Amino acid sequence: MNWVRQTLLRNWLVRAISTTIGQKLVMGATGLLLCGFLVAHLAGNLLIFQGTEHYNRYAKMLHENELLPVAEAGLLVLFVLHILLSFTTASANTAARPIGYYGKHSKLSGGTFVHAHNYMFLTGVLVLGFTLLHLSDMRFAHLNLRLKYDSTLDPAAHALHVLHDPISAPVYLLGSLVLGFHVSHGFQSAFKSLGLNHPKYTPFLSKLSILFGIAIGLGFASMPFWYYFAGH
Amino acid sequence: MSAMLDLTLKIWRQDGPKTRGAFKTYHLKGISTEMSFLEMLDILNEQLIQLGEEPVAFDHDCREGICGMCSLMINGQAHGPETKTTTCQLHMRRFHNHDTIVIEPWRARAFPVIRDLVVDRTAFDRIQAVGGFVSINVGNAPDGNSVPVPKVNADKALDAAVCIGCGACVAACKNASATLFVGAKVSQFALLPQGQAERVQRVQKMVAQMDKEGFGSCTNTSECEAACPAGISVEMISRMNLEFLKATVVGAT
Amino acid sequence: MSLNAEQTGSSDLVSRVPSGPVAEMWDKHKFDLKLIAPTNKRKFTIIVVGTGLAGASAAASLAEQGYNVHAVTIHDSPRRAHSIAAQGGINAAKNYQNDGDSIHRLFYDTVKGGDFRSREANVYRLAQCSTSIIDQCVAQGVPFAREYGGTLANRTFGGVQVSRTFYARGQTGQQLLLGAYGSLMRQVGLGKVTLHSRREMLDVVTVDGVCRGIVMRNLVTGAIESLAGHAVLLCTGGYGNAYYLSTNAKGCNVTAAWRAHRRGAYFANPCFTQIHPTCIPVTGDHQSKLTLMSESLRNDGRVWVPKTPGDKRAPNTIPEADRDYYLENKYKGFGNMVPRDVASRNAKQQCDAGRGVGTSGKAVYLDFAEAIKRLGQKTIEEKYGNLFHMYHKITDEDPYQVPMRIYPAIHYTMGGLWVDYNLQSTLKGLFVLGEANFSDHGANRLGASALMQGLADGYFVVPYTVADHLATSKLPPVTTDSREFKAAVEEASFRTKQLLGIQGRRSADSFHRELGHTMWDYCGMSRNAAGLEKAIGKIRELRAEFWTNVKVLGHDHELNQNLEYAGRVADFLEFGELLATDALTRNESCGGHFREEFQEDGEALRDDANFCHVAAWQFQGDNKPSVLHKEPLTFDEVHLTKRSYRE
Repeated sequence: MNWVRQTLLRNWLVRAISTTIGQKLVMGATGLLLCGFLVAHLAGNLLIFQGTEHYNRYAKMLHENELLPVAEAGLLVLFVLHILLSFTTASANTAARPIGYYGKHSKLSGGTFVHAHNYMFLTGVLVLGFTLLHLSDMRFAHLNLRLKYDSTLDPAAHALHVLHDPISAPVYLLGSLVLGFHVSHGFQSAFKSLGLNHPKYTPFLSKLSILFGIAIGLGFASMPFWYYFAGH
Repeated sequence: MSAMLDLTLKIWRQDGPKTRGAFKTYHLKGISTEMSFLEMLDILNEQLIQLGEEPVAFDHDCREGICGMCSLMINGQAHGPETKTTTCQLHMRRFHNHDTIVIEPWRARAFPVIRDLVVDRTAFDRIQAVGGFVSINVGNAPDGNSVPVPKVNADKALDAAVCIGCGACVAACKNASATLFVGAKVSQFALLPQGQAERVQRVQKMVAQMDKEGFGSCTNTSECEAACPAGISVEMISRMNLEFLKATVVGAT
Repeated sequence: MSLNAEQTGSSDLVSRVPSGPVAEMWDKHKFDLKLIAPTNKRKFTIIVVGTGLAGASAAASLAEQGYNVHAVTIHDSPRRAHSIAAQGGINAAKNYQNDGDSIHRLFYDTVKGGDFRSREANVYRLAQCSTSIIDQCVAQGVPFAREYGGTLANRTFGGVQVSRTFYARGQTGQQLLLGAYGSLMRQVGLGKVTLHSRREMLDVVTVDGVCRGIVMRNLVTGAIESLAGHAVLLCTGGYGNAYYLSTNAKGCNVTAAWRAHRRGAYFANPCFTQIHPTCIPVTGDHQSKLTLMSESLRNDGRVWVPKTPGDKRAPNTIPEADRDYYLENKYKGFGNMVPRDVASRNAKQQCDAGRGVGTSGKAVYLDFAEAIKRLGQKTIEEKYGNLFHMYHKITDEDPYQVPMRIYPAIHYTMGGLWVDYNLQSTLKGLFVLGEANFSDHGANRLGASALMQGLADGYFVVPYTVADHLATSKLPPVTTDSREFKAAVEEASFRTKQLLGIQGRRSADSFHRELGHTMWDYCGMSRNAAGLEKAIGKIRELRAEFWTNVKVLGHDHELNQNLEYAGRVADFLEFGELLATDALTRNESCGGHFREEFQEDGEALRDDANFCHVAAWQFQGDNKPSVLHKEPLTFDEVHLTKRSYRE
């Protein structure tokens, strides 16, 4: 195995990506792209509030696009990279401090507010679980990996069915909020990891990031809330 | 102005690198608020010597905040509760009567404990040895004013260069990451014309060595910046990231 | 009590100062020095003890040339050396300000500043090297202060009337040291320098009369180790901590220099100690060290005391008419920028006259109100921000709002091991650089000259002169297995065990404090014969008590900071006596050495007829009087005149 490693490390890209900085660069880049996906995904999903027919039309359009498999494959790569690296960096980070402190206190100003950055791995794992559940609910259970869109399908009805489920609805609500919490740090952190940190832009990006997290979290959570908790 | 404090100290005692350590509790009376934190430890040690107990080993030297020798995690905070302050510049007026103060060494795999509160920070030296310099032999230098450096760049480079190498950034980081330390050195030279010749190799080598030493990675929590007694900004980390990205793209295979 | 010393009167000291005009000496000498061919350099090993400005620069330069170098430091990293704490700046005769500076003027100012007790040839060389130092440091990426046009900025320091001080905020020493440290670490990375950190030198080893190595204690494991080579460079700083309270770091000590002295290196002018006028005053008995406020502050700060003794009003409520800006009033031409010895002595005189301020009455004001009004707080912050911050941290008072309170403190030691023009001590093969030698500052060092000297010695002088030693000396192969090394290791181990074996009742720290009190009271800012004799007696008693009553816990085979400290205190207790003896023998006042018997209007009164010499002391054995050797000083370029800053 070691010679495989050595051979791979002869490549400049592998070598760069295998450093801690390289890993964070890739995590930042994949994270940002995934944020882009979240925006598109949320925009599509929110159509359900306009009526089931709008939602179905959007689903149809999406699934009739022949490039969808390419996009999905790309998304899969982004997810896998982001997740794999989160596990490798997290385990390296744990190993970097074998003996912990008796008690550790932040010196950051801003006091006791819960910092999302301290829970990135935990929230990331929760988001991963939620994503798998969501995929099995929406992508595999209903669409069955069919490439051709079948006019008999009614994705909106299926979505509403899931959102009205007494177990799924709270899970979707919480999952959405955790996702929002995760990206509220991830969005701005990605810029820093990619090398953008400047007194001119960073304060703005930090605020934008929190707003982004809130928008994503509340945006996705609005659906289970509206259909299950508000009883529509 | 000055008052007297009675304190309880919980201090990490460890006989050597290979032995197991534990906290030990000490009671100290009549500590003047005018004292520095290390002078308080001097008093403790003087009392321990009188009692026949080995004094607490801790690193210190200049006691004016510049040598970077002193360390100490004080109540879970690197260099104690003040910002932009080293332990030696921390004064007892910051504490209250009957406080319990927990004192621990820096904790990181790359900073193994040597004894009590003394840790081995030579990992930093090894990182410096692979790239923390401009390769210019004595005798080669052109006139100091031959290359103008914009004041704003010189100032920024100095903002990076004021790092005292104490390791508080590593100690305070939840991942024990050394990116603030390395980022500061990379930034200093990236900002100056003198650093350009080795710009690409420097960041690659220093990052590689940093990883080899076993430091964690940066998750942009900014705890390092908050703990840094020299006030070094996390911008340095981002600049290093960018330097690394550029070096990866344009550097040799 | 009779004088401790036997005066020999004769001089067997060979200074090796070249002949000819002073401006041509160094160039001529460099040509006359023998070289080592590039391919032969790797056959030589040089041991550099100490990694401050002098040590790091020397180790790096020698390694760059191809020698094998061992660098030894008591710290965990070379970067911790106390050069790092130098604040204000470094002088260089660049004349970038077009204000009449020149090599000759820097030379002149330094000789005069040293009160005509330095060696002219060395000072001239120092001034010559100064310009190359700046170039070298800029090339290393030292971020000096710049003007908006991108050129280097300068400021003024005490005792001069030009702007020739280069700086990086209030942390110039740090930036210069990190530059030299970078060069050193580069050589470590290249394998040319072997770094020995957390090692304390305990002895030098001579073989056939030539210094060939050192014995050192591994501070982590306690092992007594040794290194053999072809030359040893001591770059181990000054002995200010003999006074206990000083601006030196806690770890600064005289051990390396003293151990070399005991092996045959003469100690020169130990009584020349610099008392820095602007330090934060002592607050109580617990105090472990004093903190310097850079001399550069006197560029903008004004020194004053209330005119009426015992005026306890808050400083900001004392009207201008009731203030005495005593430096400005007395020294019209230099004002607040008089040299350190003068400023310190005047502060003491004001306090002795009852006009001191603060709770102890042992402080004067350094006031920035006028400068803040003139330049704005932002400018002051840019220039001195870190110093103001430090002052605020320590005193809990905001110097932007109230004047600083300052008082003189021991800061630098001009004395040190005697060296010839090649920086070689009387022990052949042992070179001494930086503050550890005596050569360039005479009886008083001007501000911003210590950094200059450390780097000149390391970058530009010793690389040439060591080569000459290597080329011209008989240096048969020697290993650490040889008899001489084994004996030295044995001796060092014995001493360590001895310290652990006493098991008395007093800590090393309590002895050190007591020594410090004696030194400061009798051998500090002003000295007199009776006091010095008393001090010598007290030191002898204290030393005797130390060796029967010190309490050192723990073992020798582990990290034992108490043991390290005890060894250093033991050496200070021997050295302190020599310092006092030298002060007693020098029956004149000059620079920082102020003998109350020899003064004129409160200013130092030199005696050029009898004391225009370097006093170099030779060790004779424990508790035996040292022998004094004199190196006469001649002044061909700068004529011996009364040193005055009143015009």
